[in-house]
Amino acid sequence: MTMLDEETLINALRDVADSFEVSKDGADRILIKARDSTSESGSSRMVGFVRSPSRSRTILAVAAAVLVVGGISLPLMRNEGGPTVTSAAKKVVHGPLVVNGTGLTGATFGSQGTIYYSTASGNPGVVATSAKTAVRAAAGLAPRIESSGSVDLRVKGGRIEPLFATLSKLASGDGGTVISTQAMVGTRTSGHFAYGIVVLQVPQRAFSTLVSQVQRVGHATSINISSTDVTGQYVDLRARISAQEASRRQYLTIMTRAGSISDVLAVQRQLDTIQSQIEQLQGQLNVLNNQTTYGSLTVNLTTSTRQPMVAHRSGLSKAWHDAISGFVTGFEWLIRISGPVLFAVLCLGALLALGRFAWRVTRRRRI
Amino acid sequence: MEGAADVSDLGAWLASGYPQSVRTAYLILGNRLDAEDAVQEAYLRAWKSRDSLDNEFSFKPWLYRVVVNSCNSKLRTEIPHRDRRSSADHLDDAMSDDDVSTRFALSHDVFSALGALPAHLRIVVVLRYYADLSEQEIAVAIGRQPGTVKSRLHEARRRLAEHPALRSEASSDSAAIQEATP
Repeated sequence: MTMLDEETLINALRDVADSFEVSKDGADRILIKARDSTSESGSSRMVGFVRSPSRSRTILAVAAAVLVVGGISLPLMRNEGGPTVTSAAKKVVHGPLVVNGTGLTGATFGSQGTIYYSTASGNPGVVATSAKTAVRAAAGLAPRIESSGSVDLRVKGGRIEPLFATLSKLASGDGGTVISTQAMVGTRTSGHFAYGIVVLQVPQRAFSTLVSQVQRVGHATSINISSTDVTGQYVDLRARISAQEASRRQYLTIMTRAGSISDVLAVQRQLDTIQSQIEQLQGQLNVLNNQTTYGSLTVNLTTSTRQPMVAHRSGLSKAWHDAISGFVTGFEWLIRISGPVLFAVLCLGALLALGRFAWRVTRRRRI
Repeated sequence: MEGAADVSDLGAWLASGYPQSVRTAYLILGNRLDAEDAVQEAYLRAWKSRDSLDNEFSFKPWLYRVVVNSCNSKLRTEIPHRDRRSSADHLDDAMSDDDVSTRFALSHDVFSALGALPAHLRIVVVLRYYADLSEQEIAVAIGRQPGTVKSRLHEARRRLAEHPALRSEASSDSAAIQEATP
């Protein structure tokens, strides 16, 4: 590779640089400015030529970086240490559950306290609500709400049968009753288990009270409540029944004027059909009445204690299992803390890089 | 009285180093007016921060550091918004003499090649081959390690040799370009 000779380069640069005269006016201007600044600032001298705006910018940038890093890391640090239940979830799970007055929303609680909201009817809330309000207003009816739900309870102890009586007492206290009960008790390799299902029915007005009472019986791990506004369906059934009854009255009038047997038979066939439809519609209306009068709650009960089938282990076996358990626990802990540690190291590295950059800039500008 | 004494110190600095500083800045910036502005600003800065001199640096690299920082400031803020390199008219005027035309032609080419270098390479070349600073002093002046200075010098000379104007010189018999060890 060919390179420039140093002497050639020195001579060329000297030729270029010396090709013009440097005016002495520049030096004089510097002296004048220096005298002016001396007279303005008096005896105070700048220790280091540091522009205060630049230093302020640097300090602001560092402060902003610290704030951002802190804002990100603190919530992450707080979420470490295993699953936690949010305060909102905790409050709702252990407190009384308030069912929306319009009955259009339901809530599901996950095992970790996560809350999922959904519309029970699947209809868009605002539009559906306003349409149903209009239907109610036209019919002059109170809202017809159909409520149902389920609560999963984990209870202490190995027996769930006593809880059946407790739940029955709660339902009857609210003016309801127990529809069905089911219990399963058995053993698994992991230990004794018991599982039960109780279906309660209470008047609509007491449904939310019952849900909150049931939650206090044990630890609620999941709650699923759905309430549906069936006012429109109710009004529709009543209107169809009224229309069929009007038709039946007309056919009865026609029958009184029938002149021949064949006419009477023809009218009778129509009357039978109409009567059948009226009864069918009336049955649907009765079911709807029942559903909107009573709310149904299914309570799933499980026991939380596990009684190990192998009660005693030998010393060596116990030590071996303890060793494995300790190793797994330690490894889990190591994995768990690796995330925040890595994040902290990254933040520290970023701060160090930022600080080094700011220091170098400040140091460079000092002179 | 103290202020007057300080200003007299500044006068001594200017008398000894102002022209050299302006020419150095000119080689870095490529414009006389910019060079004079930068040097004026640099001397005022240096004079105001003269307390930091005794502790860390010897005078010459320290002063060049201030000048280089001032030039860098102009390269970052002002010069990118206009045509940075003025034409070397003074060189064209000097080329009227036939005896020195060849020498000035080479200088012109070197000046063009220097202008094509990135600023960080141009600065080390100027400080080394015009201001005659050692690599250690250049390291102080630019705030980098001596190894960085050495590698930048090597890279700058390689790029200068590859510049089209100086390649044509190398192919001629002027012997301006030859093999050199880094």
